[in-house]
Amino acid sequence: MKTDILSYFKKFSAASFSLLESNEDLAMNLHSEESDFIRFSQSKVRQNTTVQQHEVTLQYQKDQRVYRIKFNLTLDFEQDTAKVKSVLSQLRIELPQTDPSPQFVPIVNNGSSETFKKAERPSTADVIAIIGSTFTDADLAGLWCSGPLRQASVNSKGQFHYFETDYFFFDYSIYDGPRAAKSFYAEDSWNLKNFIEIAQQAKNTLALLKKPSLKIQPGQYKTYLGPMAVAEVLGLFNWRALSQSSFKQGFAPLKKLAEKETLMSDKFTLVENLNLGYSTPFNSLGEIGPKELVLIKNGHLDNLLTSTATATEYKLESNYADPSESMRSPEVKPGHLKEQDALKNLGTGLYLSNLHYINWSDIQTARITGMTRFACFWVENGEIQGPIQDMRFDDSLFNLFGKNLIDLTETQHVYTDTATYLKRSLGAMKVPGMLLQAMNFTL
Amino acid sequence: MQTEFDRYKKEADFVAFKTIHERTRDFGVRDGKPDSLSEFDDQGLLIEVMRNGHMGYSATCETTPEGIKQAFAQAIAMTDASSKYPVFKFDKQIRPGSKGKYQTETKKSLDSLSLAAVYDYLKKTSLALKTSDQIISTSSDAMIITCKQKYLSSAGADFEQSFDIVINSMSATAQKGSETQTRSLHGGRGNCRQVGAEHFQLDSALRECDSISREAIELLSAENCPSETCDLILAPDQMLLQIHESIGHPLELDRILGDERNFAGWSFVQPQDFGTLKYGSPLMNIVFDPTVSDELASYGFDEIGNPAQRKYLIQNGILKAGLGSLESQMRSGLSGVANARSSSWNRAPIDRMANINLEGGDLTLDEMISKVENGVIMFSNKSWSIDDYRRKFQFGCEYGKKIENGKLTKTLKNPNYRGVTVPFWNNLVGLTKPDSVETYGSPYCGKGEPSQIIRVGHSSPYALFKNIEVFGGG
Ligand SMILES: [Zn+2]
Repeated sequence: MKTDILSYFKKFSAASFSLLESNEDLAMNLHSEESDFIRFSQSKVRQNTTVQQHEVTLQYQKDQRVYRIKFNLTLDFEQDTAKVKSVLSQLRIELPQTDPSPQFVPIVNNGSSETFKKAERPSTADVIAIIGSTFTDADLAGLWCSGPLRQASVNSKGQFHYFETDYFFFDYSIYDGPRAAKSFYAEDSWNLKNFIEIAQQAKNTLALLKKPSLKIQPGQYKTYLGPMAVAEVLGLFNWRALSQSSFKQGFAPLKKLAEKETLMSDKFTLVENLNLGYSTPFNSLGEIGPKELVLIKNGHLDNLLTSTATATEYKLESNYADPSESMRSPEVKPGHLKEQDALKNLGTGLYLSNLHYINWSDIQTARITGMTRFACFWVENGEIQGPIQDMRFDDSLFNLFGKNLIDLTETQHVYTDTATYLKRSLGAMKVPGMLLQAMNFTL
Repeated sequence: MQTEFDRYKKEADFVAFKTIHERTRDFGVRDGKPDSLSEFDDQGLLIEVMRNGHMGYSATCETTPEGIKQAFAQAIAMTDASSKYPVFKFDKQIRPGSKGKYQTETKKSLDSLSLAAVYDYLKKTSLALKTSDQIISTSSDAMIITCKQKYLSSAGADFEQSFDIVINSMSATAQKGSETQTRSLHGGRGNCRQVGAEHFQLDSALRECDSISREAIELLSAENCPSETCDLILAPDQMLLQIHESIGHPLELDRILGDERNFAGWSFVQPQDFGTLKYGSPLMNIVFDPTVSDELASYGFDEIGNPAQRKYLIQNGILKAGLGSLESQMRSGLSGVANARSSSWNRAPIDRMANINLEGGDLTLDEMISKVENGVIMFSNKSWSIDDYRRKFQFGCEYGKKIENGKLTKTLKNPNYRGVTVPFWNNLVGLTKPDSVETYGSPYCGKGEPSQIIRVGHSSPYALFKNIEVFGGG
């Protein structure tokens, strides 16, 4: 008999809270997943892993001091509550020997909610067979991921927020020798027709790569960034660039924007948009912030992500960002270009479907460096001339989203978060493609 | 666990149970006050089964008899479904029946460290980093990890490994006007090794705080690294990244076989390159060595029971062997090493680095500097990027010095360089002596689908390269 995780967690958290003494508080987070991970190489299964993982994080607070401890539930009630008992008795001795936290936020009741979502999908065994038969004519590498994922934020003040979803994605690429096309399939409900159509699009892209590859010299080129490439760049905004706490500590690539020394393009608007519905409506403290928080509006920095902890430390106003102060559900607002006219609008230049391994190259000027990847083309007069050999770019976000931004496409694409380090990540981003007057390539 | 294992060991062509119990205490102090005090007590079981020559995995933290029963049933069901479309049909030789024990050599157990003792050390160092009002933020962090692994298999394997690890980082950020510079102890989390509580020596740490802080302030008024092609000396705390990204990853056989193409990438190295490719200059000797006593990724066995052995990957500049586990060796017919590793109980083992080390040469650092007419020396990694075939890289460091006519002259901020892997290593013209080798590592090497973070060690001397493109910020 499988244990019902929600009921178990209700019982476990209530039992844990009952162990507290009068001046103690406890907040608790749950991350529970039952995942099927099927890793493909050469269109066949390389490794299959199923995972049952139920992680709880206890945030223990007493006398302005905070300690977080994470462990896995065995679903044996005696064993799991014994763990809480031993943690509490240890912390009662050890924690008073540290200092009060400047970011201390008292635990409060941020309400209760329960959300349930479920994507209809075939069994994973069927999916393996479908993928095996759809790509017999291709060399595919990628990952199928599916299964329930639950997150909760509860506390000893009575808060109980619970979110349960069951979703899938297939993140893959197909190859013709060194030539590659990237693809991605995820949907609210599995649809075989759509799955096959998307696979066919990737195969069509791969066919376009047949022409001899071209070596493009370093320099500045007019460039179209496809939505997946834009998603990669957006990842850098999430690498501390919009975090208030990082900003205060001197990691501030957008400082010139914050101080209005420079502006980005008025076509560029970036919003933390929880309405996309892929992440929990509450943050890990259980706070429910605005559904839409504008971060950059028409090129002006409107808000940095400010958690309540950071707000406390620096005496600012919280916008209920997650304590990690990264975007959970970013959206880049669309522009006016027709996606199907991308080549025509580009004229002559580089068409980049994907970017890879981007990092800051100079934080103070918001300069980033990274590589082109997968299907990238040299285009002349709106016609693909051939795939390019991988190129390195090094350019400032102030150029890419500033003076060099011609426009964005009117179509946006949603990419569910595929990160699986340690555990699956919830969230998604919604992005259009971008046409740039120039992008700087160095190698 | 033995009883549970015995219940299932005959239920497939091969069965193994791996248990992991890893406790990570991660304490951070910022500006002398608690930043984050946290702990992860991670426990779980990985079940491996072979059906029809295909290996499959099921992982669970429900380590009760009922939880194990369900996980085992899932392992069989999913492995049966997958075994109809296998990349390769393995035989049982990929899981040797190794027995034994490995334990980090320590003088004093990490469990003896109380929160108060570590907090006190971090508080004192964090405060010592603030040597001036120009320092706007200081932080001092320690990750203290104890990891216990046990592996039982139907092939007779029965081994236990126990690792004690400290990852200790400190940094100071200085600001003057619009200029902000950060200097740290060997860059990010580079300062990591297997060691006991004896790691925490406050006197030497306070001296390091002082120099980190002073160098951060020094960078505020330093010139930008010039843009030119010149000689480049890399300190061991940057070489760690250079080795990791441009040697370690491209030599992983699962990358060469294409498993990683959709995520971390492929490799410019081809199977036929082993034994022939002139990867670098004759000075270049790279070893895979999980047998060093205090390096971060030392072990007795990889996680499928292959005994750890030291092996030359590149000798006198020639590529000799790849980083491939028994599975990749069987698939490719190439020689490899004991490197099937996973991030924890919830991920399957894949080809990984362990300790990948560059051997020393015959120069002192002074002799090396004296050979440079015009060049730059760079310390401590801060930025890294390389393409998916591991050719075109760009790395940035925290701190640089100009070298003119054989002497160190002015300090340089934002030192960066870029290059292409094989030509770069062929431009290696000098290494400092073995006694100058420094040992670092990274706790955060990412790879795999589903993704995994793993610990790697890298030791290196100072290295001199000719004709490298360097540049600064702005
Ligand atoms: Zn790595």
